[in-house]
Amino acid sequence: MNEGVKGISEDWLSLWIGLLVFVLALGVLAGADILGWVVTTSVWTDVTKSLGTGSKAFSGLGGIGALVATYVALLVVMSIGAAALKADVKRFALGFTAVFWLSYLCWIIGSWASFAANTPADMKKFGIGWSLKLTSEGGFIVALLAGLFVGNFMPRFAEWMKEAVRPELYVKTAIVILGGFLGVTAAEKLALATSVMFLGLAAIICAYLIFWSIVYYVARVWFGFSREWAAPLASGISICGVSAAIATGAAIRARPMVAIMVSSLVVVFAVVELLFLPFLAETFLWHEPLVSGAWMGLSVKTDGAAVASGAITEALVLGKASAQGVNYAKGWILGTSATVKVFIDIFIGVWAFVLAYIWTRHIEAKGTDKAKAREIWERFPKFIIGYVITFVVILLLALAASPATLGKVKAAMGEANAFRGIFFVLTFFTIGVMSNFRKLWEEGIGKLAAVYLVCLFGFIIWAGLLISFLFFGGVKPPLAG
Amino acid sequence: MNSTLNREARPSPNVASEMGKMQAEPLLPIEKKLIGWSLGLGIVLLIVLVAIAKLVMPAP
Repeated sequence: MNEGVKGISEDWLSLWIGLLVFVLALGVLAGADILGWVVTTSVWTDVTKSLGTGSKAFSGLGGIGALVATYVALLVVMSIGAAALKADVKRFALGFTAVFWLSYLCWIIGSWASFAANTPADMKKFGIGWSLKLTSEGGFIVALLAGLFVGNFMPRFAEWMKEAVRPELYVKTAIVILGGFLGVTAAEKLALATSVMFLGLAAIICAYLIFWSIVYYVARVWFGFSREWAAPLASGISICGVSAAIATGAAIRARPMVAIMVSSLVVVFAVVELLFLPFLAETFLWHEPLVSGAWMGLSVKTDGAAVASGAITEALVLGKASAQGVNYAKGWILGTSATVKVFIDIFIGVWAFVLAYIWTRHIEAKGTDKAKAREIWERFPKFIIGYVITFVVILLLALAASPATLGKVKAAMGEANAFRGIFFVLTFFTIGVMSNFRKLWEEGIGKLAAVYLVCLFGFIIWAGLLISFLFFGGVKPPLAG
Repeated sequence: MNSTLNREARPSPNVASEMGKMQAEPLLPIEKKLIGWSLGLGIVLLIVLVAIAKLVMPAP
């Protein structure tokens, strides 16, 4: 990245790229299948049949043709985006090429039936007697593990591709696209969707206030951290990881290195959570699907890891429920995780403002350096605007549509959703690449990690589970079909 | 929101020394107030909002 030259933020860029995919996908409504060439991946026993196209109209392209077309299109769009970020476009393009192909290879590997098939019917269909039952989202786990391998054992390669290692850009773009997909889902059960939104909002209001105060107390009193360290640490551990740590650090005028160190820790712990919480949810919460979704949103830090864990949890929980003979509709668990996460993000700016007010008026009052209300807007995560636009537009379209038009809306969002899956797998891989456990340990981050460990695994995860149960317990997603 | 999980989010090499240099700062009354109000309000809102969710507008 060119230091000192500032382009647009990844936040705004994700909004524009997400909206571009969304608008192009809507071409289906006007009879123009603009994105039908996008590659899709299916569970396979014959790898030559693993890839396909988003629309049958482009089936002549073949799976490999669709994959190449998708790569070229994304390379062009993302490289233009890199230019807007004022990144090194050539390095970005090379890095993105590596990130894309490695991520997609992981997705294909993860879709092998012996990894992915998750019901007796699926195993019979594929003629296999055993499977890891990772579901069709198993490729995400493979991508995460591959990214961790690159980040920890191939540091030169990780450094070479670092310009394109941007998990927040990829996941925010995915979330903007996800809004449209969830709009269709919500239109089919509007009362339940409204309820999920209220419950999500209520859950995060409580979590913010309870989590932050306890983590701040533990960091200050039990571990003896200074205020400069304790506040970003409390926000990072208790609210939304990296974004909250950075916003809080800026709000209390902490040195930049504080937020950077806390952020590094947040990413590593988010990966640890991502690797085991969805499987805990599958084992113990498969009969409470929305509790498991809310739990991921509340407990897993960073947007990328939280929404990604929602996706894995949905696949695992739906698979297990299906094996027990209950077929829930897709989208509700992931939608609950995303809803909780989006509300958390919305309030980061408000919380940062509250802290800035207290710090500048009471703790480090200098008379001239007062908190400003406009900082709420400055810290507002802009990609959420895109999420709201795609959600509301599709919700209104779906509610007003005739059955024929509704079919087209679903087809359009299906194509957009294929891109959402691709941005997800890029997110998983790049989160792994960024998580250099050894480097953090070597640099003496032990005391910070101890606070994180105590608060996250001793309190946040379980309090998040309790709050999720209180609000979402007994609320079931609709059945499929 | 700032660009977040970026490559810049790597610790500088002096984390351990920063920890060592940290001086004890007792809790100020305003911090105690912040913790107390935040926790108290959170618990009260938890009870009120759960009651609303279960009694006033239960999920369908």
